[in-house]
Amino acid sequence: MSEPRLKLLLVGCVGLLAVTLERPGSLALLALAGAVALIRVPASRPYWGRGALVVGAAVWGTVLSQGLFYAEHPRVALLSVGPLSLYREGALYGLVQSLRMIAVSLAGLGLVVSTPRDQLLRGLMGLGLPSGLAFMVMTALHFLPDTVREALEVRRARARRGRPVWQRSPWAWLALELSLLRPVVARLIRRARTLAESLDARGFDPLRVEARAPWGGSPGAWALTLAACAGTALLVGARLIFLAYTSGLAWFPALRPLYGWVRAWM
Amino acid sequence: MSALSLRQAGYAYPAGAGVGPVSLEVEAGEIVLLAGPTGSGKSTLARLAAGLVQRHGKGAPRGEVRVVGVEPHTASPGELVGLVGFVAQEAGDQIVASTLGEEIGLALARWEPGARAARVAEVLREVGLPEEPGRGTGALSLGQQQRLVLGAAIAPRPAVLILDEPLSQVDPAGAEALVALLRRIAGAGTAVLWVEHRLDRALAGADRVVLLDQGAIRWEGPCQEAPLPLLRELGLELPALRALDEGLAAAGLAAGGLAARWRGWRPPLAPLGAVLREEEGLRWSWGPGTALEVQALSLRAGERVALLGGNGAGKSTLLRLLAGELGRGRPHARTQSVPQEPDLTLFCATVGEELAYGPREARRRDALDRVRVVSEALGLLPLAHRPPPSLSRGQRQRVAVGAALTCTPTVLLLDEPTSGQDLAGVERILDALEGALSDGALLFATHDVDLALRRATRLLLLDRGRLVWEGTPAQALAAPPSGLRLPPLAERCRAWGLPYLEPAALLRGQP
Repeated sequence: MSEPRLKLLLVGCVGLLAVTLERPGSLALLALAGAVALIRVPASRPYWGRGALVVGAAVWGTVLSQGLFYAEHPRVALLSVGPLSLYREGALYGLVQSLRMIAVSLAGLGLVVSTPRDQLLRGLMGLGLPSGLAFMVMTALHFLPDTVREALEVRRARARRGRPVWQRSPWAWLALELSLLRPVVARLIRRARTLAESLDARGFDPLRVEARAPWGGSPGAWALTLAACAGTALLVGARLIFLAYTSGLAWFPALRPLYGWVRAWM
Repeated sequence: MSALSLRQAGYAYPAGAGVGPVSLEVEAGEIVLLAGPTGSGKSTLARLAAGLVQRHGKGAPRGEVRVVGVEPHTASPGELVGLVGFVAQEAGDQIVASTLGEEIGLALARWEPGARAARVAEVLREVGLPEEPGRGTGALSLGQQQRLVLGAAIAPRPAVLILDEPLSQVDPAGAEALVALLRRIAGAGTAVLWVEHRLDRALAGADRVVLLDQGAIRWEGPCQEAPLPLLRELGLELPALRALDEGLAAAGLAAGGLAARWRGWRPPLAPLGAVLREEEGLRWSWGPGTALEVQALSLRAGERVALLGGNGAGKSTLLRLLAGELGRGRPHARTQSVPQEPDLTLFCATVGEELAYGPREARRRDALDRVRVVSEALGLLPLAHRPPPSLSRGQRQRVAVGAALTCTPTVLLLDEPTSGQDLAGVERILDALEGALSDGALLFATHDVDLALRRATRLLLLDRGRLVWEGTPAQALAAPPSGLRLPPLAERCRAWGLPYLEPAALLRGQP
């Protein structure tokens, strides 16, 4: 898919669906779609192994923390060890939150890994964003892969000077990973400053709005994007109708099958 | 009215130090060289002149900076692009676009598409990059990246061009072409302020030189009159031919007399030790037409091997392969490497911690001694408590080399170890390497042929990913292989039948 605006629309659809869907199964499907989109980008290959680890750690950490500290009632204890209990409702809530985060992260990662910075910037400006805002969004989207890349560089530098990359103790491993933060942030700031000065010197105007370029993209890309947009619009619409019913604003007997469908699948 | 005018201008960093107050005028069509020891404030002054530290820095600017009468930090983006073109040291960090054409065209956003495309093609030709605007920027060597950012800066034809070490990663032929390009740009009326350490070449290309020391101007005047004693005192590279000629004149010697002093002399050959690394079939490909293939390579104890070749020849790729950083490679025991960008290896809070990291990880008992010896050798003791990001590029490079040396490697791989260094820094690094690596082997990639001829024991010449020549410096001097451009002093030594040494050593005669 060569048209960055189509990709941005697809990522927007994933973002909307991530806040619309509440069932773990549906969110898992959404996250899977994000993963497939990412895997299809050859440039993402070096990140697969570590990415899977991060996804696993994110799900595990959120499910465990939410399951242990769930304070609402009613709640069902799945497992109790001394004073600690793991509650089903908390674990489910944690699963939903982590799947939302993963779906959006994977889609965003797919977008930035497959789209060079300038194309992404042009795509955002092509959607009508002023160049300054577009630059901020582009930088924010690139923050995660840039941080990962910098962290890998620092780890490699440490390994060269004798620090083992893997530690047996999980706490030692965690401490090692956390200690990457300072040099990584320092380097990101340095690079960002150089880039900002370079753009500044080249007359980059943060308030400039680009004339809209004609949309590109293959018929297949257009079909996929239109289908995703239409599907998202339908699902968001269904959620809004369901919300109107649950909050007592509007209820239509003819829409009973829709209410049931939203409750079961969304 | 001067194109660039600094009146009592200065900048103080929040943590102290900085530059100025400095008064300096650069006229339209003039090239002014800004030289000084590492950390003397050249880069800060360049950023001040471009109006960048005023907008992006947290320190205190003072005095007045004007570009054709306009304060650059108050100019609108549309105005600024026609006023100042700026090229920072870190070429890779300045590249935004995915293609050469887009990168160069970034500053031409307000131009008509036809004029913009024509200007992009013209700039690509001028800076010596392939005339393929659609070509990607991802696989460029550092030297090519430097050409690209220079192209992006000159594209809108600014009134003032400010360059921070634009030649540090460019091969000798490319550097000569870029100096000629700067002359053409200045000839068209642009004022150029050029920060550079490679003075031998730069002094020949500039009109005037300003020598900066500890944030203040020590001397300014025509390049031909730059005082050699002051250059020596500041630890800067000397214009070699001029130094030799003046030395000969002072000693009342002619060429024949100097040759007689060296008749029959042969450079001492250091005995070589055991083979420390032996590699066969080194291959790597970055994409179509960019493959590296070296059949065999060995490094012996006591060797100082210089890896030469033009931009994009594959020098960095070969070093990364040997360091185990590409593909499924693994770092070799006792092999350390320092990449071109020192920032890629620095991660500790202070210089002292950075140097102590390796020995501490290895739980070496002599860690402190090792750190002290290396710090002293590289002149890093006064910087021990400073965070690496606060240092100049040349200083960071020295820290990166020091951090590798404290790990007591047997094989050290260095990629352009002397970029961003003044001559004193270069000599300091090489002396430290010779001291700390007496039983090891050093393989360093460099564009500095002078350095390779003077300090290496063996030269390897790469061209388009192939090892095309191998020999000693003496062999290279006697019959230079095609693709190796000798420095002017080397040509003179060759013509006069002299060994290749620095002018002062030549004048002293045989040791």
